[in-house]
Amino acid sequence: MRKLTDSWRSTTARLILIYGTFFALWGGVVIGLIYWQAASYLGRVSNDLIGRQATYFSMLDERTRLHALNDYDRLETRRLNAWGVFDAQGKYLSGTITTLPAMVPVNGPVALLQRGVARNDSSSDEHGRVRAAAVRLQDGRILLITRDTSIVDRIGTIVLQALLWGLSLTVIPGLFGGLLLSRGPWRRVHAIRQATMPIMQGDLARRLPVSRHGDELDMLAGIVNAMLDEIERLLGEVKGVCDNIAHDLRTPLTRLRSRLYRLQQQFGEDSDETAALDACMVDTDALLDRFRALLRISELENQRRRVGFDNVDLAEILREVHALYLPLAEDRGQQLALDLPALPFIHADRHLLLEALSNLVGNAIKFTPPGGLVEIRARTADDGPWVDVSDSGPGIPPDQRDAVTRRFYRTESSRSTPGSGLGLSIVSAIARLHGYTLEIAGSERGARLSLHCLDAAGA
Amino acid sequence: MPRILVIEDDDVTAREIAAELTSHGIDVDRIADGSEGLLRAADPCYDAITLDMMLPGMDGLSVVTQLRAQGVVTPVLMISALCDVDERVRGLRAGGDDYLTKPFAPDEMLARVEVLLRRHRPQVPQTVLSVADLELDLVRHVARRADKELSLLPTEFKLLEFLMRHAGQVLTRTMIFETVWGFHFDPGTNLIDVHIGRLRRKIDVAGLAPLIHTVRGSGYSLAQTD
Repeated sequence: MRKLTDSWRSTTARLILIYGTFFALWGGVVIGLIYWQAASYLGRVSNDLIGRQATYFSMLDERTRLHALNDYDRLETRRLNAWGVFDAQGKYLSGTITTLPAMVPVNGPVALLQRGVARNDSSSDEHGRVRAAAVRLQDGRILLITRDTSIVDRIGTIVLQALLWGLSLTVIPGLFGGLLLSRGPWRRVHAIRQATMPIMQGDLARRLPVSRHGDELDMLAGIVNAMLDEIERLLGEVKGVCDNIAHDLRTPLTRLRSRLYRLQQQFGEDSDETAALDACMVDTDALLDRFRALLRISELENQRRRVGFDNVDLAEILREVHALYLPLAEDRGQQLALDLPALPFIHADRHLLLEALSNLVGNAIKFTPPGGLVEIRARTADDGPWVDVSDSGPGIPPDQRDAVTRRFYRTESSRSTPGSGLGLSIVSAIARLHGYTLEIAGSERGARLSLHCLDAAGA
Repeated sequence: MPRILVIEDDDVTAREIAAELTSHGIDVDRIADGSEGLLRAADPCYDAITLDMMLPGMDGLSVVTQLRAQGVVTPVLMISALCDVDERVRGLRAGGDDYLTKPFAPDEMLARVEVLLRRHRPQVPQTVLSVADLELDLVRHVARRADKELSLLPTEFKLLEFLMRHAGQVLTRTMIFETVWGFHFDPGTNLIDVHIGRLRRKIDVAGLAPLIHTVRGSGYSLAQTD
């Protein structure tokens, strides 16, 4: 299962995320501007009003002012307005406000009191934010009037809530939409990744999936497919040329060999030319063997059908290979050990499997010095049995382990040993045909080559 | 003198086959067309047929199938440019007796034809094979040389049986490997030599005339030397 972070890495999701953030920021700025303008306008109006009221009250005579102030208080049922009269030192004289806050400048601009004012007609300590104006009366006393302007704040709250709702209604569905939208392309990228695996493993006939949408991904897949067509064509040409050369050279080589053979027959056993002719024959045979092996590999690689596949007894095949190579190993003073547990039958081509295992064992014997040990060991696993062929030869250096299955590749140390350098390529081609893997490792003594007969049903 | 029908459309190959066979005392008739080849092949005067798989008129596979359907039992050596194992299996299943891939060494072809000729000659089912003082009892699985019993491994027994059945004939390493082991791949040159060497050490013991001979450039033959 893919991770959530993978979804967000997709192009669509990233676009949605960037756009959502941008939208939220821009919306915030716009609404903030509206809020700020409305609030400052309302604040200005309130300040202006309170200032005027205070001036008005201060100009009335004592009796009228008291009436007017009481009316001012009562006018608002929610006690939004309040007033207080204090002496020149700020001591309470009359009114609903009991203390003169120090922050309110007398005859100054309207002040905003965040914590409100203490009132004698309210027991609660909760005071809303008020705007206050203080004026000095003609007799030196101070008149303070306040007005609760929380209505302005409430407008602010409404605007803020509108902003939050607006954001959550656009951003959250946007994010979900983005996640959903990114899922489609993600699935297709996954399909493309799946399709590339066999291509990377050498199956150049495979192509990337192209959907009917014809969008950017399809265009890209189309480009890659065109590229793969070209690569396949070029590789095919190169391989075809190689195969043709091998094929065409075989005929004249075979003729050359038959002429040498006829000469050999004519000269008889003990002539002076016999030794030279023998050497010529041996070299020609080696060349022919090499071409035969090369063509065999390309034949194996082209063989896609699993024609001769059947249930075969791996243990029996290993016993046959062991019996086939035992005299050779003994002649070289080597020990050829066979270690077989109870093995299941496997689905394989008997002849090809014999060929692959013979090559492995023959190779191991070839590279093991006289007196050495070659071991054929089978072991079972859940996903199919393993056949290990290990030897006490010089081993294969780790950096050359991938290269030895390449055609004609020979390690530095093996150049003096006769052989075509094609044996392991044949093994590898047979393994690929079966869906098996060939693992090349080192052992305590030398090299270990393991054929993992992967169970096709289990894989 | 044995007589062989060569059905082959490639002139160079046909001449090569004919030259090799004629030089070993075999009469050769050449045909280049498949359907004409089928008509001629039914003639009982032939001891063996070499048949190319790709022919004008009718392909080799159809020729051998129809030949066998007509009840003709003349041994057929199929020759094909395809070395695919499938192709070999198909050729042998259709009724071919042996299969050879182009290009081939003439001595390999000759050796195979000679084996086919031997097979074609009416044989009494033998239970004991003998060459000089070497005896092989196929029923009791016993080998004797100069009245001394030899202890042979199963593979060595099979190898000796093949050599003795075709005593006097040259058997190539490939033929030996294909017949005795039943494998159709290239085992490397010295593997068969080693097996022959073992058998030779058991049979050709000191003091007795050697029976197993190496044929330079080709293979082996088991024969009594005069």
